[in-house]
Amino acid sequence: MSEKTPEKIKYSILRFLDVTGFTVFDPLVRLAFREEPRKQVESLVKFLIIPIIFIAACTGLWWVVAPNHKTKSGEVPTPDIVISSALINDTFSNREKTKESDFLLQGEDRLESLKEVEHLMAERATELEFLEAHLAEQESIYKTRTESLISPIEAQLNALKEKNRAARTGRSSEIDTLSLQVASGERPYEALVRAIREDGELYAMGRGEESVFKDQIEAIRSDKYKPLEDARLAVNAVADEIQFLKKRQGFLSESNRSVKLEQTKEKLVAQDGKLSNAEDAKAVLREAKAFVKLEDGIGRLETQQYASAMTVYLQIKRSIFTVFVGFLMAAAIAIPIGILCGLNKIAMACLTPIISIFKPVSPVVWLLIFQIIVGAFFPDPESHPFFLFFDSIPFINTLGINPSLIFSACTVAMCAVWPALVNTALGVASIDKDHLNVARVLRLNFWDRLTKIIIPSSLPLVFTGLRISLGVEWMVLIAAEALSSSDGLGKFVWDEYQNGSSFSFANIIYACFVVGLIGFLLDRMMIVLQRFVSFDGSETAV
Amino acid sequence: MSYLEIRNASVGFGPESNRANVLKGINLSVEKNEFVAIIGFSGSGKSTLMSLLAGLETPDSGSVYLNGKEVTQPSPERGIMFQNYSLLPWLTVYENIELAVRKVFTGYSKAQVKDHVLKYIEMVNLLPAVEKKPHELSGGMRQRVSLARTLSMKPDVLLLDEPLSALDALTRSNIQDEIIRIWEEDKRTVVMITNDVDEALLMADRIIPLTMGPDATLDTPFEVPLERPRDRATLNANMRYRQLRTDIASFLIEMNEESKRLRSKTVLKMPDVTPRDFTIATSTALREFDEEDAFQLEEEEKAG
Repeated sequence: MSEKTPEKIKYSILRFLDVTGFTVFDPLVRLAFREEPRKQVESLVKFLIIPIIFIAACTGLWWVVAPNHKTKSGEVPTPDIVISSALINDTFSNREKTKESDFLLQGEDRLESLKEVEHLMAERATELEFLEAHLAEQESIYKTRTESLISPIEAQLNALKEKNRAARTGRSSEIDTLSLQVASGERPYEALVRAIREDGELYAMGRGEESVFKDQIEAIRSDKYKPLEDARLAVNAVADEIQFLKKRQGFLSESNRSVKLEQTKEKLVAQDGKLSNAEDAKAVLREAKAFVKLEDGIGRLETQQYASAMTVYLQIKRSIFTVFVGFLMAAAIAIPIGILCGLNKIAMACLTPIISIFKPVSPVVWLLIFQIIVGAFFPDPESHPFFLFFDSIPFINTLGINPSLIFSACTVAMCAVWPALVNTALGVASIDKDHLNVARVLRLNFWDRLTKIIIPSSLPLVFTGLRISLGVEWMVLIAAEALSSSDGLGKFVWDEYQNGSSFSFANIIYACFVVGLIGFLLDRMMIVLQRFVSFDGSETAV
Repeated sequence: MSYLEIRNASVGFGPESNRANVLKGINLSVEKNEFVAIIGFSGSGKSTLMSLLAGLETPDSGSVYLNGKEVTQPSPERGIMFQNYSLLPWLTVYENIELAVRKVFTGYSKAQVKDHVLKYIEMVNLLPAVEKKPHELSGGMRQRVSLARTLSMKPDVLLLDEPLSALDALTRSNIQDEIIRIWEEDKRTVVMITNDVDEALLMADRIIPLTMGPDATLDTPFEVPLERPRDRATLNANMRYRQLRTDIASFLIEMNEESKRLRSKTVLKMPDVTPRDFTIATSTALREFDEEDAFQLEEEEKAG
């Protein structure tokens, strides 16, 4: 047995890699179990190391080429900037979580955290002071440095300007006398025209000479001074953290839920006193109304949740949720209709024109159509029974079901329904005649024939269709979210494009990788499912 | 009236105006518990005949009767074992048989179904492969699963459509023995299609040749009055066996020749061309030569 266990582990790992489609790592596992090391190393080099080198080379190329292209939104970010933007997004998300937990803290924990935060704030404040001093120092260094660099050029420029101006005034007085002479008929007018043209050319030439110096000055000014930039970033980082700590302090003290609750309760007690002491009917009514208001306020506060800003992770969650809603909708439509089309040639003939016409329609058109249709269904989403229903279900109400989710999901479903439908119909129509003969000999009824023969036999093709659908959906969804500004990764990209901060471009590229990675994982998930339903033991194309 | 009967059945394809009959005027009667082998060349319509018996196809004219009742649709009482196994690839060996058993024996409890399925899997010696899927099995094993499935339905008539055609010689003789053993244990009416004379002689009570298609029909049957159990090893020494074998083989060969001759009718005979002899250079001589040649060709065509 002791000999067999490692073999068993090895084969279960290999099986896992096979099912998930990561067969590239096969040799690594086999090597770890010392199976034909030479062969494994060879295939490792061929299929793992060379591709890694290739990817590294591509990244290197990116690194080199990107800074050479200046755009309106700054330089094209290099990989390190993209990574740091990912980290910034991560920090932002973590801070939101901290704020949330601060908001909900109560009792001793709250006071302890508050003390800690205040201590941290003091620390950071001294640090900030020091850093600001350093920044001022660097700024003065930079100033004197640039001044020293610029002043000789500026002197030259000023001299040149002076010279050019003098020459110009000389020329214009010449032209004035010339025009008098022409008017009196002393000289022909051609000389005057020549003089005017000459003056224009000389003036342009003078400006050209000036602009050379101006450009030099501009270049020196825009030349970044690294220590200054670093000092500025450091100050910004600490200032940012202090800002964050201040917010935390707020959420731990006056904005904290338990604190607010306590305050309101105190007010309620006071109000109770006021109510019992009120004398005339008018006053009683007024105090009683205030009392009711306070009580309602307490009820609201008790269930109040922290209103978190949309971090990139929340956007990802939202997008994935939307894509699955759309996927379920698409599958729920495509599979039954696909089976019907596969079984019945008349149904197929009826649906073929619809499929052919609507399949190539752009998702953008669907988005607009659904936005209008869904909007008409829910004129007032806040109080519509459909959404109130979802809000009343415990888990579902945290998912944020709203009209924009519905029309995004509808759009994706509309674009994704076709591949699933066509593949299902094909799977059902191409079922082996022998299998149907078995059903006939056994005299299976329609239901048994459907569940025992037709569906299992077409399942691999159905899943192929669903896999294509999910890929289409993920692509369409990001575009739809960007276009309609409904929450999700698409909105994240669009917002970054619109707000144009120094990290916007890097954030867009970061989002590009995030979208790609999630799309890849979704596809892998479908591959695994496809492997489970395929009965002939064949591999699935990656 | 016999137990299983085909009366003057014809099956064809194509439109009414240009119908090609695969089978024409088929008459067959099989007694209860008889083992009949139908032997014929490939493409002669054997599988169509089997589909007719199974009820998977209905004849254009004529009819099929089982036990006096007309056959109009397939049913588990006529268990057919398909030429290419027809196992459901998404089910295991056990589930494939279980599906049939559940459908046929609706009154069985879970335990009864299990016992029944396992009994038939054991009968074909496949107990170690119970949880395997068909694609994990060899051709012979799949054939045995198919046999077990058909037998498990306890059909009144067993229809075997070239059950052993896809197997190698060794597996083939194994399964032949298995079928005979099962048949002898538990007598049934069996109609088997085959293209192997030895196989037919080893297993059947009666061998009926199917003529070449189109318009294929059943010819005079050969009775096989050999003692059972028949032993493969000693059979070769049996004079009757050898006699029958020669008879059937020569009958089939003759049928094949005949069909070839029938077919050659449609082929144009090529002229017997010889190279010109340029030593006879006169044009008249050439013309005479040509005329003679043409005359010869005509004569030959008349004769052919």
